[in-house]
Amino acid sequence: MPYHTFKCSECIPERKKHAVVKGEDEDLTSCLPLGYLKTIPGTISERGCAFCGAKHVIGTPMKDVIHLCHGPVGCTYDTWQTKRYISDNDNFQFKYTFASDMKEKHIVFGAENLLKQNIIEAFKAFPEIKRMTIYQTCASALIGDDIDAVAKEVMDTMPDVDIFVCNSPGFAGPSQSGGHHLINIAWINQKVGTFEPKITSDYVINYVGEYNIQGDQEVMVDYFKRMGIQVLSTFTGNGSYDELRGMHLAQLNVLECARSAEYICNELRKRYGTPRLDIDGFGFKPLSESLLKVGLFFGLEKEAQAIIDEETARWKPELDWYARRLKGVKVCLWPGGSKLWHWAHVIHEEMGVDVVSLYTKFGHQGDMEKGIARCEAGALAIDDPNELEGIEAMKKLKPDVIFTGVRPGEVAKKLRVQYINAHAYHNGPYKGFEGWVRFARDIYNAVYSPIHQLSGLDISKNEIDTDKGFMTRQMISDVKIDKEAAIVSGERQYTGDYDCVSKLRDKKYPKIEKQSLSIE
Amino acid sequence: MSCELNEKDRAGVINPIFTCQPAGAQYASIGIEDCIGIVHGGQGCVMFVRLLFAQHFKDNFLVASSSLHEDAAVFGAAHRVEEAVDVLLMRYPDVKVIPIISTCSTEIIGEDVDGVIRKLNEGLLKEKYADREVHLISIKTPSFKGSMVTGYDVAVKDFVTAFAEKDDSNGKINLITGWVNPGDVTALKHLLSEMNVDATVLFEIESFDSPLMPKGDAVSEGSTTIEDLKGTANAMGTIALNRYEGGEAALYLEKKFGVPAVIGPTPIGIRNTDAFLENIRKMSGKPIPYSLVRERGVAIDALTDLVHMFFADKKVAIYGNPDLVIGLAEFCLDLEMKPVLLLLGDENPNYLKDPRIKELQEKVEYDMQIIRNADLWDLESRVKNKEVELDLIMGHSKGRFISIDYDIPMLRVGFPVYDRAGYYRHPVVGYAGAIWLAEEMANVLFTDMEYKKNKEWILNVW
Amino acid sequence: MDDIIQEQVEQLVDYIMKWCLWQFNSRAWDREDQNEGILMKTMQILCDEPVERETPSDKCYWVEAVILARDFKDNYPWLSKMEKNEIKILMKGLKEQIDYLTITGSLNKELTNPVY
Repeated sequence: MPYHTFKCSECIPERKKHAVVKGEDEDLTSCLPLGYLKTIPGTISERGCAFCGAKHVIGTPMKDVIHLCHGPVGCTYDTWQTKRYISDNDNFQFKYTFASDMKEKHIVFGAENLLKQNIIEAFKAFPEIKRMTIYQTCASALIGDDIDAVAKEVMDTMPDVDIFVCNSPGFAGPSQSGGHHLINIAWINQKVGTFEPKITSDYVINYVGEYNIQGDQEVMVDYFKRMGIQVLSTFTGNGSYDELRGMHLAQLNVLECARSAEYICNELRKRYGTPRLDIDGFGFKPLSESLLKVGLFFGLEKEAQAIIDEETARWKPELDWYARRLKGVKVCLWPGGSKLWHWAHVIHEEMGVDVVSLYTKFGHQGDMEKGIARCEAGALAIDDPNELEGIEAMKKLKPDVIFTGVRPGEVAKKLRVQYINAHAYHNGPYKGFEGWVRFARDIYNAVYSPIHQLSGLDISKNEIDTDKGFMTRQMISDVKIDKEAAIVSGERQYTGDYDCVSKLRDKKYPKIEKQSLSIE
Repeated sequence: MSCELNEKDRAGVINPIFTCQPAGAQYASIGIEDCIGIVHGGQGCVMFVRLLFAQHFKDNFLVASSSLHEDAAVFGAAHRVEEAVDVLLMRYPDVKVIPIISTCSTEIIGEDVDGVIRKLNEGLLKEKYADREVHLISIKTPSFKGSMVTGYDVAVKDFVTAFAEKDDSNGKINLITGWVNPGDVTALKHLLSEMNVDATVLFEIESFDSPLMPKGDAVSEGSTTIEDLKGTANAMGTIALNRYEGGEAALYLEKKFGVPAVIGPTPIGIRNTDAFLENIRKMSGKPIPYSLVRERGVAIDALTDLVHMFFADKKVAIYGNPDLVIGLAEFCLDLEMKPVLLLLGDENPNYLKDPRIKELQEKVEYDMQIIRNADLWDLESRVKNKEVELDLIMGHSKGRFISIDYDIPMLRVGFPVYDRAGYYRHPVVGYAGAIWLAEEMANVLFTDMEYKKNKEWILNVW
Repeated sequence: MDDIIQEQVEQLVDYIMKWCLWQFNSRAWDREDQNEGILMKTMQILCDEPVERETPSDKCYWVEAVILARDFKDNYPWLSKMEKNEIKILMKGLKEQIDYLTITGSLNKELTNPVY
């Protein structure tokens, strides 16, 4: 097995099997790190907790819901306003956050009454909202409050409200992934099948594992609507509580982030026979094939193809402009979970960048299987990286840019490595055809930043040009490209709007009549 | 006309003003050189607080976790702390100070951190790290008590308690700044330097504003040393600028080592800065120099241009850390403004006997409300129901949507500020802070006038 | 299997690994169903045989198979020169190799977890 030992982690034998280098002749039977094991204390891992995995990642993107945490105030405060999961109802879900505010007396005497008061108060403060999710925390789990019983009691007295309870305390598992799991299972057990949303199309899907980061969901739903498909529910970005109670009514589950949401797709397949179709919303080819697959499933492949043709014609010349200039750029693909495999191959194929390393904070071995299967030989794959390992890897691999979160991005900055926010995006959305161009543009802007170039200059040692007042990105990037070919090809830089999502909200869609299923 | 001191009339919190105690302890810990704290609890208690620091400073700070998982919640987690200390020491050869910061979970399961520290001191540190200076400090910050403010206060006191050591007088003043920004420390050190006073600053966090260097070798970390902390016992006096963020440490030094303590005032605005300098003069015996008279004059000059024309009778709501809120309210009054709503995000009983609050209650001539244990819904619901009309909000970024949704201009102050660039670099204390605050308030109001076309032409000539 | 087929199988495996996700369901039993369902139907499409797609799950496998067969044909011109019985041998080899990589030889310790 091609394990990689970090010098900084030689003293921790447990880390030995958590990093591998994919060799030329390696395959998944010889090259896979361990994954999703307990974090080693004191390593300064990047992982979060199971509470945040449940509440922050999956629960809160649900838009028409009061999200209440039962515990001390910190869990609520800390997971509030740190993400970009927008919604088309003016972002209620991230503007308002609710904490039962457990204090010492509640720890001693129990906090069930406090919780009940909280629920009633919250509904009173927002009388137009009739749905609530309640999240357990470490504190309420340890004192043994029966949140389900309190929720039931309230629902009995307030018939117009509905409450979902997620018992996923911070300590429930090695990372946030434990919370993804628990909330998936809790939702299908408690809520799926309890409501029948209106079916408005003959073609009905659930869009699962999609969190509407900077509008990803809205871009993808636009494609589905243009095909005549009803997106009955989205789990959970921009998703509606009652629609998600009706997940059992869809004909197909279209799954994006299998890491965080495959559980519910598997359960829906098992319990209701709904098939699970894994798709990639990122990249022209994977996205095109994904749309085509969904189209084929319903006999709507012509509609799908029309969208693919239109979008490709519109955006491919812009992607190509960036791809020509990104060729050979070295990338560390260091996201949380699913982007490790969503992006591993397609950024190489469509943008020409080389993925020199991939890591996952909270992924399981299944995510690494996908990532390692998709990346090129030579890449360093790391499970549950810690601060020093990340720094060691960057110093060794000297990437031009890393795709990661805000805080590790700051670590990279200091090492003079540019960063793109892989979780929340720089200027997304990154899904969809236009989104993919936006991603390429953001990478380009990072890599060829004139300020980045200046940051490497030591004015006390280097000779300084005294006749250069400025540099443009293109002056830096175009040094290495074939200018003639670039001009001839008709490629161009991104021409879309700063906000490419809001305008989708008022769009009207034609109703598509049911067609015969005779295809081939 | 009255000033009421009330408590929030709901049990729960809608949009909190504060996070919990461990965050405050972590903020204190990053101010110390060669210090990496271990938060004893779930990983989120660290990961999100580090994210908060990164959001505010746009930089990375080191704090470790004992990574509490299920089994630990059931069987106890002392071994997780032992392992964390060992792993940290093996991999970070410069680390000398390791505060072990408790959380709600480890307090509820009754972790004996002091016992673990004794065991480590007797065992691991003696056996494996005999030639290394290592200090393990237990900081008890259950999340269900107090707030990030009390957590900071507890941690400052615990650090001082752990290190302060009687020796010959060092002729210095201890300056405990409270929860401030690098820009504040720069402003305070400037005042001390003008006064020709040598001070131990807790904490030296100017270095949080760190560079990006050609070699890629810079990091953001505090630079208060163990020696600095030891020497606090030998100062000629302590000035704790913030009653609720470091006040306890000052009282400890007074009680234990006879170092006289002066608590407050928070030197926000001209008057409170004057008082701060007066306190230094009294403590050090050194006169206030002409340079500061002039500097004060520059500030007064700047304020004079603004107060009558733009600030008079403007109604302000302020929320955040208590000393900051009170200091800002006092400054606003000097600026002819009307702070009408002050929101303090925890239920600290000491607010009830805070002389500054009493003074407000007795002296203001218009309706003012101070709310304890407040949340941001206390602000928003009053705005929404038109119970208060506001010209300006001052507070941290978590309240940004009140400003955005109700079209009320807002000046970001305090912690965290993540929706404005570089605010940590600017002071709110001292004469420099008075200028920055007043001019930013003015500019925020000006921008709002233009955006709303509300007498924006008035700025044609001014 | 002769060397040529072996090499061709490798190419197809590489394609699936780089572009597909269906082979990586989280549990062994699902991987067996997915590999069987999708690769069988891909073989049927490539051999112009009728493809079962009455049930929702068959339809979903078929959808994957249609795209896979199309991509195989587009990317590997040698495929169109093959006889149907050769394609069957090739696809049998492919299925065995995918099963090996994703199930029998997999190092993923969660595959046998009895619940999702």
